[in-house]
Amino acid sequence: MAQSLAPGLPRVVFVLGKGGVGRSTVAAALGLELARRGERTCVIGWTMSDPLAPWFGQPPAGLMPREVSPRLHVANYRLDDTLELYFVHHLHLPRFYRYLIRGEHVRRLIEAAPGLAEVFFVGHLWWLTTLAGEEAGLHFDRVVVDAPATGHGASLFDVPAMLSSLRATGLLGVEAERVTRMMGDPAWTGAVVVALPDELSVDETRELVPRLRAKTGRAPLAVLVNRSIANPPAAPFTPAHCGALASRLSAPTMAALQTVTEELRSRAVFESTLRAELGPLANLGVRPLREQLTMPGPSAPRDIVERVAVEVGLQLGLRSAP
Amino acid sequence: MLGEGGVGKTTLAAGYALALANAGRRVALLSIDPARRLQDALGLALDECPVRVLAVPPPGELHAALLLPEQILRRWATEGIADPVERARLLDNRLFRVLADRLATTADVIAAVRMVEWIEQDLTLTDFVVDTAPGRNGIEFLRRPRALAALLQGRLLHWLLRLGGRSPAGSGASHGPAARVLRGLASIAGFELLLELGQLVSAMEMPSRLVFERLERVLVWLHQPSTEILLVAAVREDATAGVRMLREALAEADLAPAAVVINRTLPSGVDEEIAGIADAAWPPDMRDCARYTCAYARIQARVERGVSTLAPHVIRVAASPELDGSRKLERLAELGRAIRLP
Repeated sequence: MAQSLAPGLPRVVFVLGKGGVGRSTVAAALGLELARRGERTCVIGWTMSDPLAPWFGQPPAGLMPREVSPRLHVANYRLDDTLELYFVHHLHLPRFYRYLIRGEHVRRLIEAAPGLAEVFFVGHLWWLTTLAGEEAGLHFDRVVVDAPATGHGASLFDVPAMLSSLRATGLLGVEAERVTRMMGDPAWTGAVVVALPDELSVDETRELVPRLRAKTGRAPLAVLVNRSIANPPAAPFTPAHCGALASRLSAPTMAALQTVTEELRSRAVFESTLRAELGPLANLGVRPLREQLTMPGPSAPRDIVERVAVEVGLQLGLRSAP
Repeated sequence: MLGEGGVGKTTLAAGYALALANAGRRVALLSIDPARRLQDALGLALDECPVRVLAVPPPGELHAALLLPEQILRRWATEGIADPVERARLLDNRLFRVLADRLATTADVIAAVRMVEWIEQDLTLTDFVVDTAPGRNGIEFLRRPRALAALLQGRLLHWLLRLGGRSPAGSGASHGPAARVLRGLASIAGFELLLELGQLVSAMEMPSRLVFERLERVLVWLHQPSTEILLVAAVREDATAGVRMLREALAEADLAPAAVVINRTLPSGVDEEIAGIADAAWPPDMRDCARYTCAYARIQARVERGVSTLAPHVIRVAASPELDGSRKLERLAELGRAIRLP
């Protein structure tokens, strides 16, 4: 265990958001920040191929967490591997696994069964934060979930309701009860929502946050607005806006500046919409993460994760302002 | 049209469809999850059933529909079952309700099958534009027909059918390996759940065979020379990797992209010009804007280089003002005209 765990955060933090909003970057940044504080942290994703480990110069991670930077581990969920882990290493039923679960027909059925992959995903998160230490020598203070982008992000929170509606008994019933208890406990799980200051993302986030509150019975920790513009142009673009520079700029550059001015000004408007509408619905409100393209410094993915980690730390109260 | 989340596929697909229709063709647009603004731009509220966009001048026609997996699935399930008792049994099955509510992962299959349904219902269409789930999810269906066929022909399905009471009268599954597998599964999930699964599988047998047949026809359509697959990329550091991944996934099904479309591009050379100006020379409220423009243009140059070898053509769609205000429809069509292939 770390000396002192960051206050206000649950053991398992779900980072939610649609594809393209920077969800993985924020998840990695939060993981890095927690690891810097001394916590043993695992960031786990659920994608075809893990993008996070390569940012730290390592091959894509699999199900078993791999350390990519001091105390920061990365993993990527796969149903197949999780079933093996569960039946062989956790339940010690290797023959049952080999002859029944791994069988072609049962495998297909499991893949087709609605929501079963989600049940085992959430079950695996429980395992990571409890038994992984004893069974696999992997002790984690904190798990950060880079939630899947297409709908499932929020649907992970449907798992308890779905399980109770299935009224499963047997092993699945035991798993269901454990998962339901974990998802319902604010000390165990909580959500951070990542949004972009654009129309599509504002619409989606407007829908997601109330849905999340209804499903979990509590507010998300925060809504983080990625690619926020700290200092947008004060007025619509005119050549005069560039002052003395106007005579030095070519027509295409002027056109580009005009397009970008419009874009950045519209971001400021969408961000204030988010703040006004969703601020009261999240514990820490709506918080900005600055647009990295306006920041000086190198722009390799790892550099960006390190800079975003500082911002995430400040905005979630994990570090104090300089 | 395929691409990672947030690259602007939906808007470009709508623009492309609109431009084709304006040029006098009869176009269908199947769109997943369009923003309010896009529906505003088209001047209508979209639904699962196709709606005609009246702003298109004759002889062109544009019919647009939304992809709403849950509604479509319910419709198909009930279309395939003539007997009202059986239909009610399916809609009441708890597992079916769970299934129908959780279809985000299968939007691709549904999009593909819906496309064939539409094409075969309206033989006068000249063009069909479809924008589907983001990233690799959009083409997972390319791999599914085989898996689905195997499932439909698998022995386990027959055992479950017996359990669901739809099998031909016979010995049932009380002996032999089938019984052992079923008993094993019952020990994991409980017998009651398994029984309901059996009922679901037997009720879904006909509808899923229909879906499967249509999916096979989608593959035939996709391999026609008249099918163009466009990979849409945004100006983002990871754009090239995303395009490469999609291209590889297509190659596994013997398909290849016709072009890569880079959305929201700036004129080239902008970065060098801005890099030559000191930060302090800009008015204070233009500094973020200048830095952003310069960084963006640099990433754009890297993306252009990166994708140049991944498709026969690279199309750049210029960043344009938001679709708000007047001339919304014209701006949308302008975006679409930029995509025209050589």
